[in-house]
Amino acid sequence: MKKISKKTLNSAFWKWWYGNLTCFSHEHMQTFGYMWAMIPILKELYPTHEEQSKKLETYYAFFNTEPQIGCIVVGITAGLEEARANGAEGIDDEMINGIRAGLMGPLAGIGDSLIVGTYIPILLGIAVGFAEGGNVLGPLFYIIVWNATSIWFQKFIFDKGYSLGGSAVELLVGEQATAFRESVIILGQVVVGAMAASWVNITTPIQIATNSEGEPVMLQANLDGAFPKILTMLFVLLCWWMMAKKGMTPIKTLLIMAVVAFVGSVCGILG
Amino acid sequence: MSLFQAILIGLMSCTAASTIACLGTTVGNYTLNRPLVASLFVGLILGDVSGCILIGIPMQVMWIALVTPGGTVASDLRAVSYIGIPLAYVGCRAAGIDYASDEAFQLASSISALTGTIGITLFYGTAMMNLIWQHIGWAALDKGNFEIVGKVDALMPLISHFCLSFLPVTLLCYFGSTAVEEVFQYLDTSVWYVKALLTVGSVLPAVGMSILLKSVVNKTSDLLYFMFGFVLAAAMGLTLLAATVIGGVFALINYQLTMAKKAPAAAAGVVVEEEEDI
Repeated sequence: MKKISKKTLNSAFWKWWYGNLTCFSHEHMQTFGYMWAMIPILKELYPTHEEQSKKLETYYAFFNTEPQIGCIVVGITAGLEEARANGAEGIDDEMINGIRAGLMGPLAGIGDSLIVGTYIPILLGIAVGFAEGGNVLGPLFYIIVWNATSIWFQKFIFDKGYSLGGSAVELLVGEQATAFRESVIILGQVVVGAMAASWVNITTPIQIATNSEGEPVMLQANLDGAFPKILTMLFVLLCWWMMAKKGMTPIKTLLIMAVVAFVGSVCGILG
Repeated sequence: MSLFQAILIGLMSCTAASTIACLGTTVGNYTLNRPLVASLFVGLILGDVSGCILIGIPMQVMWIALVTPGGTVASDLRAVSYIGIPLAYVGCRAAGIDYASDEAFQLASSISALTGTIGITLFYGTAMMNLIWQHIGWAALDKGNFEIVGKVDALMPLISHFCLSFLPVTLLCYFGSTAVEEVFQYLDTSVWYVKALLTVGSVLPAVGMSILLKSVVNKTSDLLYFMFGFVLAAAMGLTLLAATVIGGVFALINYQLTMAKKAPAAAAGVVVEEEEDI
């Protein structure tokens, strides 16, 4: 009965953790990082160089996902490879690559929306709050909290992937996990609103009338009286609509908004 | 900026080179590559930590959510962090603009958008150059030499970083800072076109926020939560941290409701009753 040692598992984990995207290209993306992580495992499980080389061919296949949540896939394949070395039935190249290919899409979706799209922005948002006035506490907070939590999480799901195999995915896509994820995204939506209100400030210098004492009546003051910072909110929603509903790229939206702002300022509508 | 300072910033840019960072995803891309973190290091190199952090904040806000699905990017943060921050800082210093002022914020936002989008060429350049190393790797694998995989993955891309991160960043910081200083010395923020550029800088963060919004909104009704958060901060004057706590309460309620719906009917009844009591 072959068993992958703790040391080898750690070596595979850290190689993936570090090298998942270091040799990124649009043709192979994370394939080389994956192979690098699998090599210590294959070397331990198979005695001859020929066999190690042959088994590595399984991992020649294209791989790309959100690499941090993708730790679980590397863990799962480590477990599968161990079972294959012990002569388990039905574990072949096709089966392993079927699992890899089946997981990378959904995991990328979860990782991108939850880690990159919600968790990191919230942490950065809090850090920006701490950094106000040029305080080093902001960056330090982010460096420590992000790295500690993220590395812990990656190691945790890697180990779960190895010990539980395919059923480990339940941890990330099961009922409870889905409810958790949807709830965290609500938190994200509220926080994005608060961020937009705290950091974006779009104003108009338009004067709509003169009051009885001869003082100017400003449109901005009236708008804010009805709904504070409504102009800012409408701009954010407009940009969202352009990207989400009209399918424009962020760069195109950026360019259009730059032109709108420039022309708006010259015409005396914005700024 | 001295050549030595420019070289240090160039080295930092390699460690943090966006998706392909030579210090990996967690530490390279998602830590050192973020403008807020970078501003601390640029500040240490240039000798003004708090000034650089103040410049780094608007740059961070601009690109707070940068999801790279399938390797397509909207911005290269390495360029924002290690070209944008040092040049914007030097410019503000030359123009005598207070780093904490609205002008500095708007100026930094514009520079952030500009360097980020132009910097994409660095990202695609690095990814293209890595094809060479991967080609070497495949050729060796065909001969059964798999020991090369580690070198291909971790060592050879350093050459890509030298050519496409270290050199351009160092040169732009060194020669660019002098040019920027000369231009900014005579910057008059009351001229119409400078005013217009500052307005651009106040509108562009809205695009950054909407990129973030797009990553968390799945259906149009979700926008109500966004508006709720907006009102918390804009009308009720809550800080971000306070709004996070309130958002957390809503997340918790949603979680309990969802789980209660899935639990057996009897258990669900109890939870719903508790909710009504509140």
